[in-house]
Amino acid sequence: MTLSLPALVFPASVYETQPEFLARAFSGPPPEPGILWLSGERKSAVRQILGHDYAALRLRYWCQDGRSAWVLEEIGKELPITVGIITEKNYISSLRVLTYRENRGGEVVAAAFTDQFNTAALTDNNGLDVRIDGISGATLSVQALTRLAAMALFLHAESGCSDGA
Amino acid sequence: MVHKKKKPASATRRLHRTLGAAAALFVLFMVLTGLAINHANGLGLDRQQVTFSTLLDWYGLDEPENLLSFGLGDAWISFAGSQLFFNEHPVATVNGGAGAVSVGGLLVAASSDELLLLDPDGALVERLPWASIDPQPIRMIGLTSENAVVVRSGGRLWTADADLLNWRQDADTSSNLRWAAPQPAADALQQAIGRAYRGQGLNLERVLLDLHSGRIFGPVGVLVYDLLALVLGFLAISGLVLWFRSRRNGKSK
Repeated sequence: MTLSLPALVFPASVYETQPEFLARAFSGPPPEPGILWLSGERKSAVRQILGHDYAALRLRYWCQDGRSAWVLEEIGKELPITVGIITEKNYISSLRVLTYRENRGGEVVAAAFTDQFNTAALTDNNGLDVRIDGISGATLSVQALTRLAAMALFLHAESGCSDGA
Repeated sequence: MVHKKKKPASATRRLHRTLGAAAALFVLFMVLTGLAINHANGLGLDRQQVTFSTLLDWYGLDEPENLLSFGLGDAWISFAGSQLFFNEHPVATVNGGAGAVSVGGLLVAASSDELLLLDPDGALVERLPWASIDPQPIRMIGLTSENAVVVRSGGRLWTADADLLNWRQDADTSSNLRWAAPQPAADALQQAIGRAYRGQGLNLERVLLDLHSGRIFGPVGVLVYDLLALVLGFLAISGLVLWFRSRRNGKSK
């Protein structure tokens, strides 16, 4: 006798592709991507924000006129959630779930939830300066998005994009 | 000395005792598995992969049907089912395998819908979704005569810059290209990948959930658990009946 594990595999829901996200982030064609390596103190700071190392050693980002766009991933419960985050000056101007793969907690893709991150900035201890209301049954996904929001703000400052770089 | 004759237990009491004793082990089992499931995340049970081969067999988790391996110097990149392996270590879940090349100190593995960059120790450097470059799936990956990474997707040919950041579409000059081709890995590596691949499909939390619900024993297990749940319901009712009866008898004395 065998159990039917394939029934546990849920298809990923794509809400916005990366090209669509970049088109929304920048008026006109997106700028050339830049690279940010996660090493040394930067890696330690990201580890402090996420509670673990990020799943990659380098990140590409897009920066134009002080606005930066990031496509980041973080595991909610078992599978990575892909999130597109736009930051400018020192705050988040948009956070949207691009791809959601978990079978529970999908309520975090709703704009009513993600709009809470708009205008969020980083505190001195790398947290968010706004309170994000949780969603019952989606606690791990909410926490994952909150961590990514803080990470994007930290990376935005690290990239020098806010200085017009 | 006068011995008071012991009154025989009622049928309800006898049934309550017998079923209660029989259900005790089941209740303890449900309590323990329930507690573990409630704290599975904190205990890391959802990240603990099962390696016990009998259990993996029971779940029907077989070794991968297709194993594509690419030797890159001392390292091997392998695609086993939906898993990418660096030597015998699982790196990431991928969608098919097109090939792997080594360039500039990086290993570049191509699945059908993304490129995965690994450092020489197998750590994931970056995942590049191919849809951001071309909607067609990746078919092949290789190197040009100048050691630039080249990818064929659909009928198009794409060449990367040195940082693998920007891609330009090129004319098909396949005669000057070295396409990655799978090679047979050593038996020991193939067996190690097979063991690791099977374990990736099952974590301890899944097993506990199936034990707790009876699904690990299939449809019959669920029915048996239903029966045991009814027994527990009977015990609750018979316990109440016995309690009320003993209260009433106590008052009447």
